[in-house]
Amino acid sequence: MSATADASTLSASDSHAHDGKFHVFVQLAMILAIITGMELLVIYIPMPEWLVISILMGLSVVKFLAVIFIFMHLKWDKAFCTILFFIGLALGGGTLWALLLLHGAKDSQPVGPAYEMVE
Amino acid sequence: MSSHAATAGHIDHHHDATTSTGIPNKKLFMWAFLASDCMFFGSLIATHLIYRLHPPAGSPDPRDLFSIELTSGSTFILLMSSLLMALAVNAIQKGNVATTRKMLLGTIIFGLIFLGGQVYEFNHFVKVGGLTLSNSVFGSTFYTLTGTHGTHVAIGVLWLVLMYIRTFKPTDDSNGQGWIAKGALHFLAFAGAVVVGMYTLLALVHAYEEGHGLAYYFSHHFISFGGTIALIGALIWFARSPGPVDFGEANAIDVESMGLYWHFVDIVWIVIFPVVYLLEYIVLP
Repeated sequence: MSATADASTLSASDSHAHDGKFHVFVQLAMILAIITGMELLVIYIPMPEWLVISILMGLSVVKFLAVIFIFMHLKWDKAFCTILFFIGLALGGGTLWALLLLHGAKDSQPVGPAYEMVE
Repeated sequence: MSSHAATAGHIDHHHDATTSTGIPNKKLFMWAFLASDCMFFGSLIATHLIYRLHPPAGSPDPRDLFSIELTSGSTFILLMSSLLMALAVNAIQKGNVATTRKMLLGTIIFGLIFLGGQVYEFNHFVKVGGLTLSNSVFGSTFYTLTGTHGTHVAIGVLWLVLMYIRTFKPTDDSNGQGWIAKGALHFLAFAGAVVVGMYTLLALVHAYEEGHGLAYYFSHHFISFGGTIALIGALIWFARSPGPVDFGEANAIDVESMGLYWHFVDIVWIVIFPVVYLLEYIVLP
């Protein structure tokens, strides 16, 4: 087979892949909109606080991962991009978690007249 | 169409054999930058949460200030802007400049709507709610976090506008610097249309809120309304087909890098929306 024929086959294949991505992107946007609607519904349903927070965090994680892997092409890019981004994400998330734990500890509770009134 | 159209279908957008990592350098730089930005926003979100968990006496109740309808609308707008950005990248990877321009314009408009919503929200909080950057810890952490995100959105919109104008660079550069001067005028028309258009729209909202009719509105804001129409006309004139352009599939990495930044702005809001807004509305049984 000639090189020209190979090139046209490659081009048709790429074009098909791009068309496929178009539908994936539109479907993902619809799913993200539905998840956002679910987040809104969840806060008005009387449930234990821990359960509402868990559901909200779970839905946010789903949205977050969907955007980075599909809209941001991590699914199709080299794994190094994913590793690089998740290093930053782990450091940022770890800092957030550590600060919340530190300030949640009893010895770290803020003191002073302003805070005692709240307690 | 593009001078690069001939190469359509032959560029591997996920692999660059000329770099040691196999990843285009621009993309690698953007992922490294976004990773560092994760740490930046992680600290800001942690700061806000800590002060929300330990509010000093006299802290305002966010539920008295927030408008969940407005914020939900802004969230939806930002999600849809991410879709348009992804479609812009998809289009330029096929060398389709016309569709790329349309998708970039849509992303710009959605970004501006989000920013308009944030300006309205901040204005409402300061003037009606009395919440400023310095009169409460809640105000300080809230404005710092959401303001930093808004600044990222504004930078993204500016980048999008510059990229949109870049798509008009002609292949034939015999005119020398003419294209740069035209690009600068294009940018000024864009900036003018946004500022005058927002002023005109806000004036219409105020006229409606105060019970004035359209006749009152047009008699008092005729110049700004006419200016908006003229600037939109200028934008259409600048956007007319200039012939072959020096923009195509080979520029896909530039659009993709910008897209990564824009999607990051979206994922930060995906975290801010529940953490800062929705958690305040939890109904305890």
